[in-house]
Amino acid sequence: MITTTASRNLEEVIEECRTIFDIPGIEPAVAWKHAERGRKLIGCFPVYTPVEIFHAAGALPVGLAGGGNRLEIVHSDSRFQSFVCSIIKSTLEQGMTGMLDEIDGMVFHSICDSARNLASVYTRNFPNTPVEYLHYPQNFALPEAAMHLRSEYERLATFAASITGTTVTPGRLKESLSLYNRIRRLIRLLYGLRAERPHAIRTSELYSLVRVGNLTPPERHAEILVEALAAIERREGKSRDRLRILIVGSFCEQPPIDLISAVEDAGCYVVDDDFLIGRRWLIGDVDTGVSDPLLALADGYRNQSVASPVKHDLRVSQSQMLIDRARRLNADAVIVLCAKFCEPALFAYPLYRRALQAAGIPNLFLEFEEKMWMFDRVKNEIETFVESMLFA
Amino acid sequence: MIIAGVDIGSRHTKVVLVDRLGNILAVYSSRTRPPLIDLVDSNIENALKQIGALRTDVSYVATTGFGRSSYPDRDLQLTDVTSAAFGAMHAFPNTKCVIDIGAQSSRAMKLAPDGRVREFKSNDKCAAGAGGFVERAAHYLEVPLEDVGRLSMNGNTPVTISSVCAVLAESEIINHVSRGETAEDILRGVHDSLSERATLLLKRIGIESEVTLVGGMGNQEGMIRSLSDTLGMPMNCPENPEMINALGAALLGIRKLEKSAA
Repeated sequence: MITTTASRNLEEVIEECRTIFDIPGIEPAVAWKHAERGRKLIGCFPVYTPVEIFHAAGALPVGLAGGGNRLEIVHSDSRFQSFVCSIIKSTLEQGMTGMLDEIDGMVFHSICDSARNLASVYTRNFPNTPVEYLHYPQNFALPEAAMHLRSEYERLATFAASITGTTVTPGRLKESLSLYNRIRRLIRLLYGLRAERPHAIRTSELYSLVRVGNLTPPERHAEILVEALAAIERREGKSRDRLRILIVGSFCEQPPIDLISAVEDAGCYVVDDDFLIGRRWLIGDVDTGVSDPLLALADGYRNQSVASPVKHDLRVSQSQMLIDRARRLNADAVIVLCAKFCEPALFAYPLYRRALQAAGIPNLFLEFEEKMWMFDRVKNEIETFVESMLFA
Repeated sequence: MIIAGVDIGSRHTKVVLVDRLGNILAVYSSRTRPPLIDLVDSNIENALKQIGALRTDVSYVATTGFGRSSYPDRDLQLTDVTSAAFGAMHAFPNTKCVIDIGAQSSRAMKLAPDGRVREFKSNDKCAAGAGGFVERAAHYLEVPLEDVGRLSMNGNTPVTISSVCAVLAESEIINHVSRGETAEDILRGVHDSLSERATLLLKRIGIESEVTLVGGMGNQEGMIRSLSDTLGMPMNCPENPEMINALGAALLGIRKLEKSAA
């Protein structure tokens, strides 16, 4: 477990983060559960879950992020077709190999057909694990969307209380909202710092700092983020002549961390991304000064959340938002890094590409799988892409 | 001032020396073998010997190929895609597409008017789309590699090699031999098989004339004929096509040198 030492440098913080999350299972969360006798774990499938509700019920929300490239898929291949993305299979595989035995409840959402099917397959294979399925609104234009989502969140609160035995009261929920508001603010600070001074923190480091929150209590995660921010301020680094790259497309299944490093090693500064986007899904604080915090949380989803291919908000053009984002960040190019067979990302890509081409923003499409362990080819493609811009 | 372009390929390591204007001064190639650092140093020395120059006359080294990052004294490293594009454009200024068929991989690229790569696709998973497959076929048929291109030109009824896997394709070759097909027809079938894979790569980026073939396979006239037939258009192929990537690296070295001097 991470221990706070005032003088720790960023490398030390990152190293400890990686020991926590860079494993195929969820052991650190299980260790927490055993230490906190009687407390429960609720598994949250990506992309976004209102984890505040589970925290308010006294549970530790566990962010599921697949099995990485060290989990052998044996059982899941007989339950899912070959054209289904890796995270669906690896999540089921984690369950079937006992890695998720300590999970007391699971939550899936309506992000894509595969995730929808995973919810059913998981329920069928693990009848003793309570599973809840969250329906996000499909029509954001109507104010009723927030009310619909509030009723979904209320169902989720009842589900969480049935597992932990602790009712989600408005007071408890407000406390949890405040804590997660703080974490999102800290992550936003880190992202802003990287966009401004990308030489000060590598993207693989930033990713580690966010990803550790999947398996760490939020109170501790906030401490880690604060420590990291202080360490970055102390870090000396020289800005180099590199391309500023925006990466989109990896919002659900996560690329291997070595792939993220490969992008940087190919001569890029990543100035923004959508890795683990669920952890900064809400772009502003949820109002905790209201009488109905559940509605405030639902309203945050409707009116204060990121644009994403898994969110069907027809009030905005996702392509235009991508262009605006690239320009705001002064990005030289966009890399669309999609998980293989990720339908939402692949449906979005043609629209992105058309918009990027029309805007004159160079772009590159790459596919990955979480089981990937050789990066030469991808690195070659990125290097060529970088060179095509450098020798313009 | 001498600029060295070094292509550290999977089969051969090639060196092209150019002057500041891009004129080729010397070329040298030898089989790739470890240690790569000594090999590159030795190849540069051998190229320098041809023009009576010394190592100290080399002011810039640009590397490319799979081993491009293995040579610590490099000033610049470039992917084989970028260097092939600039080398091909230098040889044929109207080049729009390049197909590079090396020993272990092949790639197709579409170029911008200034030689930059606009789009590219590579096939580095399957040996059936690369020169190594031809080597193995020649070995099985007991034909010297340098005769393959000529023999293929004499193949009038090419056999069909349909497997996309080099191992299975070799089995097909064995079957053709056992059925009494001639080496000429089998080798033409091998070239046709490679051409089809190269054409598929080119189609994925959009074929535009002129197309330039680079890489060691360009030394085989049967390959050029096969690719022209499959594409339905004439094919550019430079002299010493296997040296084009090293040349491209050297030319980009000049550009980088000028940029940093400015």
